[in-house]
Amino acid sequence: MYLGMAATAAKMPDQGGTYTFQSKPHEGPPAMKFRDPYQTTNGPALYGNIMYDRRIVRGNTYAQHVLPATVQPDPIEVQRQAEARRRILARKRATDQLRPRSAEPVEGRKHIDVQTELYLEEIKDRVEEADVECQTDAFLDRPPTPLFVPAKTGVDNTTQILDGELFDFDIEVKPILEVLVGKTIEQALMEVMEEEELANLRAQQRQFEELRHAELVETQRLEEQERRHCEEKQRRMAQQREVLAIEAETARKIAARAFAQNYLSDLVPSVFGALSENGYFYDPVAKDVEGNFVPWLLSRVKENMGHVLLSRVMVDELIRAVCDKRHDQAKKMKQETRARSRGDTEAAGPAPAAAAPIQLADSAVSVPPPPSSASPVDPLGPSIPNIETTPATDNTSADIPSIVESSDIPQ
Amino acid sequence: MELLSRMATTRITTALPPNIDITKAELAYGEHMLPKLNRQLQDDTLITRQRALNALCDVLHNPEHVSAALKVGMAKSLKKLLGDSDGTVRWKATEVLFICSNHAIGRDAILEFDLIQPISALFDDQHEDARLMSHRAVESVSHTVNGAQGIVDANLIKKLVEKLKTETDEIKQLVLDTLHYCMKVDTSQALAAEAMEVFTLLLGHKMWEIRGKAARDIMDISFPLEGKKKAVKVRCIPVLVKLLADPNFHVRAQSAGALMSIAITTEGKQESIREGAVEALIALLQADETTDVRLNVIKVNSLSNVRLLTVKAITMLAEAPSGREKLAQVVPTLQSIANTGGPMMKKVATTAIKVITWKP
Repeated sequence: MYLGMAATAAKMPDQGGTYTFQSKPHEGPPAMKFRDPYQTTNGPALYGNIMYDRRIVRGNTYAQHVLPATVQPDPIEVQRQAEARRRILARKRATDQLRPRSAEPVEGRKHIDVQTELYLEEIKDRVEEADVECQTDAFLDRPPTPLFVPAKTGVDNTTQILDGELFDFDIEVKPILEVLVGKTIEQALMEVMEEEELANLRAQQRQFEELRHAELVETQRLEEQERRHCEEKQRRMAQQREVLAIEAETARKIAARAFAQNYLSDLVPSVFGALSENGYFYDPVAKDVEGNFVPWLLSRVKENMGHVLLSRVMVDELIRAVCDKRHDQAKKMKQETRARSRGDTEAAGPAPAAAAPIQLADSAVSVPPPPSSASPVDPLGPSIPNIETTPATDNTSADIPSIVESSDIPQ
Repeated sequence: MELLSRMATTRITTALPPNIDITKAELAYGEHMLPKLNRQLQDDTLITRQRALNALCDVLHNPEHVSAALKVGMAKSLKKLLGDSDGTVRWKATEVLFICSNHAIGRDAILEFDLIQPISALFDDQHEDARLMSHRAVESVSHTVNGAQGIVDANLIKKLVEKLKTETDEIKQLVLDTLHYCMKVDTSQALAAEAMEVFTLLLGHKMWEIRGKAARDIMDISFPLEGKKKAVKVRCIPVLVKLLADPNFHVRAQSAGALMSIAITTEGKQESIREGAVEALIALLQADETTDVRLNVIKVNSLSNVRLLTVKAITMLAEAPSGREKLAQVVPTLQSIANTGGPMMKKVATTAIKVITWKP
């Protein structure tokens, strides 16, 4: 950070030499308490890529910038170099102009290339070629390389070789046999070793397995034992629970019994009382007498009483009619007597008295009293039809007093 | 030329040396050997393929050559040869794959190139050697968990169980081994294929290897709960109890192991006790002690396995109350085993004693 700040004070030399830097000692800016999140302070970037920082030296420092002897390049030298460049350029231009050229083509024509050599030669794009075929022989097996035999030198000699001297089968065959037997034995040994190894592995495995089985069974045994114990415990608990349940049930039963006894002791008399009150208990004979016989009896009695009453009324009427007649006769007789007494008192007296009873008997049969003529004295006049028309099923208790009443009045 | 023919040379003849073993391809030298063999495997001529395969069977016994062969891309050409029309080619191709599958890199390659399915197609081959080799290859693939998982994923379990009924004894053993490894990964397929019934049948086989392996497979299959239930249902417990008195100690060990894993459940325990497993196990425990020295010399591991599994089985049976009463008499024997045996035996025996002497 301070490095960047210091760069503001750096001074770039105009001529492209080495970079120099100088700055007066000064105080750094006060450190901010917090990072400015919005980068409000306008200033140079506080840091940069050092790969492009001119102040950082890169590469081999020996190969860089061979320091000129003088800080400033020699102006004369510079001038001389410029001169040389200019001269080379001028020379090039001059040689270009000096080259011989053909004349400019006439208007409307243009130059083409023409051969001016002694012998004409066809100019073609394509290179001339000719097809040539060649078929190689089929590959043959390479014949065995003939043994190199050096050229013979010296003198030929002969010698006698007896049978068995040059080639002894037993000796010659020995190495071959050794190889054969060795190979066979080697193979056999390998197989035997393999089998042995496998057998060993299996034995080891079996041994391990036995142990594993023993352990496995032990585990299972313990599991089973645990399971049995658990079961036993559950069974015991179930039994205990059952006993408790039975006890509780018994207690409840006893309590219920006591309560029921208590309750029922009052119940029976009250029920019988209520039932007998409501008439559920009765004597069928009495009920029959009351319900059927007595109404029938009463209706019959009423009927008979009606007849009696009617006959009495009729008798009363008869008596009345007789009485009226008698009264009339008596009145008449009285008047006659009075009249006789005035004139003739003896002859007329007993005759009307004898005639009266005969008339009375006739009138009682032939002259029934008209209802309209019923005197107000007679209270039974309207009640007669009433009595006769009442049906037998009428309430007995209502009828009886009416009969009694009606029967009382005329008497 | 004239001169040459008249002169004596060291070369006897210009003809190439005769083919000494015509059944095998000539091997190129060094690193060119396997690429050349691979080329010959893809050849159209039958004899070339056969000779190349024959040579490969020898070459691949060297573990270095196995990895080189796989790098050359031999697995792909072998996959093609598995479907070859010639029986010998199929047989030799499976043999090569079997040799490869003895190495981890070979097993990985078999899984990587999905060779299990083509190999298992040869289970039905009419060429017996091809069948045998394919079973061998599958068996050695199943050694690792990945391989067993691959076999289970290829749904081979049902097929293998079917083969147990029809194949020759040698192949039966291989199939039992394969199933043993596969059932470590997943037993549900085997249970669904009714393997338990087949194993129970094989318990009565005349070869002790097959009896032992069948018992071991029953142990494997009955590790999960369904297996135990199935074992009780199929009634293999009486047969297993009978096998506890087998003359061969492998069979004794494995049948004790099978009982051990079945007798974990309550019904398994009750059934075993009803069939007299406790008496047989006690007899086994004591008899094995008397012949301890003799058997020790023969094979320490197997003996200790017999006793280990026996003790484990005793532990299982001791959990049932009636078993506990009967087993109270063997506590001293177990005590001596605990004192003399290895760390595992000691642990197992003390557990057994603890279970037997447990009082509610």
